[in-house]
Amino acid sequence: MTSHSRRAPRHAAWLAVLLLSAALPARAATPGETIAGAARSVVKIYGAGGVSGLEAYQTGVLVNPTGHVVTVLSTVLDSDIIDCVLDDGRRFAGRLIGADPRREVAVLALEGEELPALPLAADHPRLAPGTRVLALSNLFGVAVGDERVSAQHGVVAAVVPLDARRGAYEAPYRGAVYILDCTTNNPGSPGGALIDWRGRLVGLLGKELRANASGVWLNYALPVDEVAKAYDDIIAGRATAPAAVSTERFDPAALGVILLPDLLDKTPPFIETVRTGSPAAAAGLRADDLLVAVNGRAVPSRMAVQQALGALAVGDPVRVSVVRDGAIVDCDLGPRPAAAGAP
Amino acid sequence: MMIGGGMSRWHARGSAVFRGLIVGGVVVGTMLLAVPSGLVRAQAPVPDAGEMALAEEEAFRAAVTAVAPAVVRVEPGTATAALNTRTEAAPSTGPSTGLVLTADGSIATTSFAVPADVTEAVVVFPDGSRGVGRVVGRDDARGIVLLQVAALPAGVVPPAAWVPRTELAVGQWTIAVGRGWDATAPSVAVGILSALHRSWGRSVQTDAAVSPSNYGGPLVDIRGRVIGILAPLPADTAGMNAGTELYDSGIGFAVPLEDILRVLPRLQAGETLKPGIIGIGYRSRDPVNASPVVAVCRAGSPAARVGMRAGDRIVSANGRPVARVADIRHVVAPLYAGDTVTLGLERPAGDQSPRALTVTVELAATLPPWRRPVVGIVPVRAGAAEAAAAPAGDAGGVTVGWVWPAGPAARVGVLPGDVVVSALVAEADGVGDAQAIDSAAALGGAIGSVEPGRRVRLTVRRNGQLRDFDVETAVAPAEIPADVPVGDADPAAVRVMRLEAAELAEPVLAIVPDGGTQDPLGVLVWFDQPRGAVDGEAALRTWRLAAARHRVAVLVPGSSDPQRWGREDIATVARGLDALRARRALDPGRIAVAGSGAGGAFAWLAAERLGPGVRGVALVDAVIPRQATIESAEPGRSRAVLFGGTVPDPTLREADRQRLSSAGYPVGTLPVTEGAGPPVEVLCTWVEALGVL
Repeated sequence: MTSHSRRAPRHAAWLAVLLLSAALPARAATPGETIAGAARSVVKIYGAGGVSGLEAYQTGVLVNPTGHVVTVLSTVLDSDIIDCVLDDGRRFAGRLIGADPRREVAVLALEGEELPALPLAADHPRLAPGTRVLALSNLFGVAVGDERVSAQHGVVAAVVPLDARRGAYEAPYRGAVYILDCTTNNPGSPGGALIDWRGRLVGLLGKELRANASGVWLNYALPVDEVAKAYDDIIAGRATAPAAVSTERFDPAALGVILLPDLLDKTPPFIETVRTGSPAAAAGLRADDLLVAVNGRAVPSRMAVQQALGALAVGDPVRVSVVRDGAIVDCDLGPRPAAAGAP
Repeated sequence: MMIGGGMSRWHARGSAVFRGLIVGGVVVGTMLLAVPSGLVRAQAPVPDAGEMALAEEEAFRAAVTAVAPAVVRVEPGTATAALNTRTEAAPSTGPSTGLVLTADGSIATTSFAVPADVTEAVVVFPDGSRGVGRVVGRDDARGIVLLQVAALPAGVVPPAAWVPRTELAVGQWTIAVGRGWDATAPSVAVGILSALHRSWGRSVQTDAAVSPSNYGGPLVDIRGRVIGILAPLPADTAGMNAGTELYDSGIGFAVPLEDILRVLPRLQAGETLKPGIIGIGYRSRDPVNASPVVAVCRAGSPAARVGMRAGDRIVSANGRPVARVADIRHVVAPLYAGDTVTLGLERPAGDQSPRALTVTVELAATLPPWRRPVVGIVPVRAGAAEAAAAPAGDAGGVTVGWVWPAGPAARVGVLPGDVVVSALVAEADGVGDAQAIDSAAALGGAIGSVEPGRRVRLTVRRNGQLRDFDVETAVAPAEIPADVPVGDADPAAVRVMRLEAAELAEPVLAIVPDGGTQDPLGVLVWFDQPRGAVDGEAALRTWRLAAARHRVAVLVPGSSDPQRWGREDIATVARGLDALRARRALDPGRIAVAGSGAGGAFAWLAAERLGPGVRGVALVDAVIPRQATIESAEPGRSRAVLFGGTVPDPTLREADRQRLSSAGYPVGTLPVTEGAGPPVEVLCTWVEALGVL
């Protein structure tokens, strides 16, 4: 959440680009060669589903020659028979050997040897926005039998924490993802390979989800370092259930801020009154101030204020930004107290 | 193209981008830039596709770096966004983007981020600090909003360069930049310029991913020069979210910065720029291919003020030849209310060749609601088929059935039996051409095109002689006159007709006077309290006398749900009307819908759904349903509204009257006797009176 953690990967990526530029081989592969090479490791997966809008197919990526396939954890894998088809038409029975429910990554094992694999680079630096990428997946199931998966091109549009859902289902992963500028939120795409123009695996295409903030369908991929961590955890038996997404709410009344009552779905967080003698009063907050941020996080609704305060640890300094007379005013409210009884 | 002197400093040809590339040490990137050809080393090796891709990637990032200091995040509005219902297809809220236009803090964004009723928005700068952007101006024709912040943080500056329209080429790289995803790092989406002329000339199109997150952000070329501002701009619809359903679809729009800079001083001065309206309707509804012949010229419109009128053919607009309606749109849509457009016209002149005219029209933001002008002539009934087959020459014209008591026509001496053969609507200069009248619709069109209070000269044939009457027009009345002539038809010659259609489970019952196809009937649809099926014999007893006296077919539909009227019942009525039309001639000028209680409120909804063919609505013991919207009356969309009986909250009814009246509808009172059942006689009289012209 701090600007430091946002910037570090960017610098690293820039550095990497410069280093790579220096180490440019005499001739880069053509896009066709790059795609053909990587697509050998992309697996069409057929499993459970096919009813009520859930597809029965997705995509996976071979990550070692002995047959480990990473893919997304989904209902497609809820099946005794998981068919995995390579781009040369070879068909394998996939066995689910484990999953990381937080990152929603699963590993399947195929009985094979010397299979074409894309290495999982645990130390791969995060890509910077603007990096050209290729997405390889069995979108809409259009590739059948020995047909190679479909390739799409795009760039990394943004690198942001995932905050998404589909219907009532809230995505448990809250870490960074690559937002892509090509449309990958298609049936069959989840689990596809995101590769760079040198053919290296840089991410795993995510599920069909909508952004919480705007409701738009997301085109995103899990960065390869997170995929590698998930893989390592699964193989080592460390993968654990997701920590429950923090849903703690903290009523700002404990700081002396009484907001307008929640009459609408998302009432704007206008301050109705400030309790005399409270931290809010000491900090100079006033009635009719409109709260716009809590510790830098935008709070477009009354509920967002409670969630933003709830996400802070007890004792964390609370700084709010309000709009007053057409200007932003920042106020420090001191440490967040423990929850003051039921809100 | 007039471009203010203050903007030329922007036009610095992106030299900063070049420096950035060289400092970055990525020399290959420069090969892709549009360097003047003389500077390209002739012996440079052609890069292979892989190298090309990576070099382009460098150029994309350099372009983003160049414009990034001008790009800010705009937080979603609070109050308004909360009230909008987010639909599946079209997002209506979310973090968005803005583009700094001036060093003193003017920031452009879109009406997506800052809807019409929002007066300030929170802006997040690249360093994470926040500011309040006060709305100073709006371009409602393009969905652009200008914000003003008190000050910009250090390092936040307007774009170094922008691209004039003339330098744009379809197929060139375009990069969409936003900060909706992350205020501190600009987002990047890459595509090409798909089209230069979209939204009737108001935008250019790109296949880069454009969505709420980068609306308001710049679309830049490969050198980081701003092409335009990304906006959810649809070609043909209006409304705050229109166009958002196209997000991330490969169809994205940007308003050229050149167009925004041209009006920047006006936006900074606090203006709201509105799309410009001429105030005419065309004969065909095909907006693309139709011939641009004026069918309606709205009273009080810019077109009417310069003397345009029905029949005029537009042959040029601002010097550009016009052959189709679309050609006019291309000229007018980019303009604003207050701008002028010069139209070349050809006006029919009888047997002679058309007269050429040139008019200069000042476009308006809105039109006054249309109040239908009449002269108080009620023609004898004519079916649609007869009107089309009206004989020409001496036998042509429209016969006056009766004249409105003490109406304008009566005052100047027009009598029943007179035949109106031509109408002359004088131009502003007092001269004009008479229009031959061959149908009630033509007479209605001629009278309807003048402002109430102005005169129309009617030429009337009486006893073989032609006489002229100068008649002053008046706003169409809503009340029912006392002395409406009635026929002496036999009430026994009225029967219950079962209107069946393939799609109908149950036939619709209608009380229909006997007669032939030469005897067009008025139509009244009566919605009673919902009670399921209708007793045909009882309905016949109720309506027979009034239906016979006034030659009205009364449809008495049942409700498919015995408890309430439902949407499907409207479809049933529509099919019933079609079935009736197939069997009997109907007078298109005398179709009305009425109802009582729940049926009264439903009558309003039914009239809306049945369309402009419904000329009157009467609500007994009912008010207009709250969910109904009332659009301003327009030619072809106006109806008389009558209220009768009582309602629990009279203030609601008074509010209805005021809404309707200010929207241009004639509103009147329906005399109702409490507890006496449907006011059959007065309703059928009213149907006859609706035919007034």
